Amino acid sequence: MTRLFEPVRITLDFLQAIGQRAVFFLATLWASPRALLRPGIVVEQVFFVGSVSVILIGVGGLFVGLVLALQFYTALARFGATSSLGGLVALALLRELGPVLTALLFAGRAGTSLASELGLMRATRQIDAMEVMAVDPMRRIVAPRFMAGIVSMPLLAGIFSAMGILGAYLVGVKMMGLDPGVFWSSMRHEVSFRSDFVDGMIKSVIFGAACTLVAVYEGFHARPSAEGVGQATTRSVVISSMVILALDFILTSFMY
Amino acid sequence: MGEGPLIRIDDVHFGYGRHAVFTGLSMEIPAGRITAIMGPSGTGKTTLLELVTGQLHPDRGEVWIQGRNLARLSRATLFRLRREMGFLFQEGALFGDLSVFENVAFPLREHTRLSDTLIHHLVLMKLEAVGLRGAAALTPAELSGGMARRVALARAIVMDPVMMFYDEPLVGLDPIAMGVILRLIVHLNETLGMTSVIVTHDVKEVLKIAHGSYILSGGRVVAQGSPAELSRSRDPWVRQFLDGAPDGPVPFNYPAPDFSADLFMTGVRR
Repeated sequence: MTRLFEPVRITLDFLQAIGQRAVFFLATLWASPRALLRPGIVVEQVFFVGSVSVILIGVGGLFVGLVLALQFYTALARFGATSSLGGLVALALLRELGPVLTALLFAGRAGTSLASELGLMRATRQIDAMEVMAVDPMRRIVAPRFMAGIVSMPLLAGIFSAMGILGAYLVGVKMMGLDPGVFWSSMRHEVSFRSDFVDGMIKSVIFGAACTLVAVYEGFHARPSAEGVGQATTRSVVISSMVILALDFILTSFMY
Repeated sequence: MGEGPLIRIDDVHFGYGRHAVFTGLSMEIPAGRITAIMGPSGTGKTTLLELVTGQLHPDRGEVWIQGRNLARLSRATLFRLRREMGFLFQEGALFGDLSVFENVAFPLREHTRLSDTLIHHLVLMKLEAVGLRGAAALTPAELSGGMARRVALARAIVMDPVMMFYDEPLVGLDPIAMGVILRLIVHLNETLGMTSVIVTHDVKEVLKIAHGSYILSGGRVVAQGSPAELSRSRDPWVRQFLDGAPDGPVPFNYPAPDFSADLFMTGVRR
């Protein structure tokens, strides 16, 4: 009898989890304009989430660019089309790999530190203390971090793509001996500002919002114990990664 | 000192899931007095403070503060009311990313538009009151447990609240820090007329300074009165609690099968 109802229970639990996150999202949006009244706190958070991720994302971008250029070069060489290398790498980075990989790295670095920071604040009752001091934690803690995620993700994705293009330049021009003029002009020829750069940035903004929201939600609702904080941190990476990849499919299908 | 109850708890029922914490709790906390709420661990003393500050809401019954029913207040009104409350957490609950000074300044920066100079003066005055002016630049991680509690107390009183709630203020303190905290509670009560509610199981120390007290057990009030009345009481609940006896109406052991049956494994199989 109970086994029969198991799928029903799982579905209800899932819907409840989605609902709770949706309510949290709306509350965060509601608190965000008021958080902007104190831009200092938002800037502080942009600095925090940006500074913890920037080196990781820069180095990550460089390596992805190096690998992409190597792979594309060998494939293009077969058709004698190595002159398109610059454009191809830039397209792959700006449209897809830049936003997605930045978001995944961000979830692993800044997302986990946000989730564990908030989880620890919950466990040591700092969030309760704020509540009884009549300070709304949604406005003071959650909203500034959310805004910071939205601001810093596109910036980081920009750094990722720039470093990736630099990596491709090193492989294509310095290693394989491609003409630098050809490398850069193919990029100018292939990449459209509106449909490639701007759409990539829109993706990043949305990933930034999703990633930060998942991290702060998990941290804010962590069980108040050491174990609870650990679980919240793990959950934040797992859920963010799934959400990023799913959102990427949805956004790409609308954009291109 | 004001007259009449500042806080009235009326037939409150509350539970976490199936575990009932309060089953018809009623009490009145007079304005301008020090009221001690005592009881063994796990009787819901901290839960009671969370109900009074509106962090939790009763399943049944009402909590009234200054003639207002907490459950009926909007979030904005509740937050306005909370500005008149100070709350000392057992853990201190200091903000780990802020210095001691900024921790104490936090409520002022959030709720007032005072100049930095004035905030500086106010914060140092409160830190001086708890004897930690010299620790203003430290971070919470550099403080001992007792020091953290005193900084938390400075932060709780920095807005000069009308009522102050202390959650186990003496747990884990050395006798000197204990004396300092107790003297501070009395001082705040006498000079500012602050209503103080102390939740504790440090019976002897707190009864020295309390004007009135309640003893909780099994989800309700089992005894109440002034410290003198309680110490004269013949009531078995009061006697067991004040004398710290393991046997009496308050069960010390978690419910278990008969010990000999359990030892010889003839009782319930695990």
